[in-house]
Amino acid sequence: MNTDLIRVYKSVHTWTGILSGLALFIAFYAGAITVFKEPLVRWASPPGLGQVEAVSLEEASDLVVKTLTAHPEAGKDLRLHLKPAEHLSSRVSWQLRDQSSDDHGSHDSHHFTATLDQDGELITREAHPSQLGEFIDTLHRVVGLPFDSEPNRWIMGVIASLYVVALVSGVIILLPTLVKDLFALRLGKNLKRMWLDAHNVVGIVSLPMHLLMALTAVVFAFHDPIYIVQDKLIHEGGLRQAFQSGLPGAAPDQPTDPVKMLPATEMIARVQALSPTFEPYMLQYVGVTTPRAQVRVWGRDEHTIVARAWGGFAPVNPYTGEVMSLEYMPVLQSEASATLSSFFSLHFASYGGDTVRWIYFLLALAGAWLFYTGNLLWVESRRRKQKRDGQSPLPGQRRDTLIMAALTVGICLGSVSGISVTIAAAKWLNGYGELLADWHRYIYYLIFFASILWSLLRGAARASVELLWLAGLTTLLIPLTSMLGVTLPSLGIWSHPATATLAVDITALAGGLGFLWMARITARRVYHGQPLDTLWSLRTVNDSSTANSKIIVGK
Amino acid sequence: MSVRIQRDWWSKSLAGVLLGLILGLVCSALFMQFAEVEPASVKVQLAMWMVAPIWLAVASGSYLFQTGKQAWVWLCGINLILVGLYLAASKL
Repeated sequence: MNTDLIRVYKSVHTWTGILSGLALFIAFYAGAITVFKEPLVRWASPPGLGQVEAVSLEEASDLVVKTLTAHPEAGKDLRLHLKPAEHLSSRVSWQLRDQSSDDHGSHDSHHFTATLDQDGELITREAHPSQLGEFIDTLHRVVGLPFDSEPNRWIMGVIASLYVVALVSGVIILLPTLVKDLFALRLGKNLKRMWLDAHNVVGIVSLPMHLLMALTAVVFAFHDPIYIVQDKLIHEGGLRQAFQSGLPGAAPDQPTDPVKMLPATEMIARVQALSPTFEPYMLQYVGVTTPRAQVRVWGRDEHTIVARAWGGFAPVNPYTGEVMSLEYMPVLQSEASATLSSFFSLHFASYGGDTVRWIYFLLALAGAWLFYTGNLLWVESRRRKQKRDGQSPLPGQRRDTLIMAALTVGICLGSVSGISVTIAAAKWLNGYGELLADWHRYIYYLIFFASILWSLLRGAARASVELLWLAGLTTLLIPLTSMLGVTLPSLGIWSHPATATLAVDITALAGGLGFLWMARITARRVYHGQPLDTLWSLRTVNDSSTANSKIIVGK
Repeated sequence: MSVRIQRDWWSKSLAGVLLGLILGLVCSALFMQFAEVEPASVKVQLAMWMVAPIWLAVASGSYLFQTGKQAWVWLCGINLILVGLYLAASKL
């Protein structure tokens, strides 16, 4: 292949990579955790607020009718939970959004729950469910920004687009030497070569996952504008109609009185009869007091792909019992729908059960590592370029290189520590009610920005050791908090006995110890390593470049 | 082969991003015109999904052109032919 072409694409890879890498690190680290959003929310939910089982499934229809009568505003979207879990405190729940809030963000919602007392009287109350899972998911969706709003999605879309170009260009520059490089992990003296080999191997091995994530992320960011343009230019205003096609309309004499709805158990049975492997977990009552009444029976199916992150569903007409569409039903959907579902399922790891989720978790961590090493390689290349230009005696590290190195360390490790503290804080923040989401945000950004500032003040080498210690210790706060819940119950902290929530503590324990181990070996390199001409060692060859320790403030 | 490729960063990047997006949209229009997919609600979604991969493939590939001018000429040409095809097909 034309060697000049390779050089062109090296530049493309460098610039797209350096512009998107740090945002992508946060997206991937938060994304790895979002794979296990549900166990995390269960872990973070306090016990004792009430239980789903307090109302039996047979009584549930009565509860739904009473709720809709007392609170007609809940009729837009009312949820009936079928299975008990730590984060669900009652059979029925609904959310009301503030008028001003963006349609994708859930930060301005009020949550309500409803249950029946022993005499069958309706009890409703405003609930404050854990905001932890939502907060980390938001960090993931909008690359570390605080709100999932339209402008932030545009930023995420630009980052994801750069990421696609970085992937393609990375493959192009590797192609001529692919076979040779792929099986060569040259450990040894040339540390930069070793990091580059490792970067290449991880990049190529996880390339399919990266391409998939990058492309789906671009679509998630830009689907609204693309639809708008297509509707104007191609569908000639017919998009809305196309979306609604396929759903049967209301029967002419169809009632809208919820008392006449079929019992929940009946609707579940009708959907269950279609597919034995489909496991319903929720009924979503959508506009049931209007002629467009629909009850979505949501479920999971570990044996196949499902339409959305939270499973597949079948819409049922609650008055006639007719299953209105199979397009979102696992297995039974049309081939075209299954193609569409596969895009979502492959992004959200909503197939293949926990095995696939763990694989995604590890691939996402490997992805975060890929972006981190990409930045390190950029830093080292600047140094080589300086040498090649023949400046003698060797000058200090370039200032932009030092800043980039410090930002890499501060942003990456700052986001790790920030996420760990905000997770651990979830159990201490119980009772903060409406302010939960705000507190998670304040805590994360405080640690995040403090880490960046620390890294800029101390220089990348020292900060890398210190911030790794911080990441390790803050991550250990997660299992420590749960242990306090067991040993000192008077603190009001809890620890659920479920396998999934214990797994959160064990994973955090392993992660925390992993960061501490990295801190130790990094310290060895920074303070006691071979004297090398790199900004990662304080024992440098020529003393002029120890300037790296007093970068930004001094000048 | 060691023909030096013109860098032309701005014109190649702009050609890739702008004309790639247009190509993605034109391809989705042809998909709506010619593909037989049921139901319509799924067809419009697939048409939306195909825009970004085509767009970014072109944006990534635009640096393969020898010069920025060539990138503009080729990509405009392909777009014009496909738009012509689409307009002809939708008139019929």
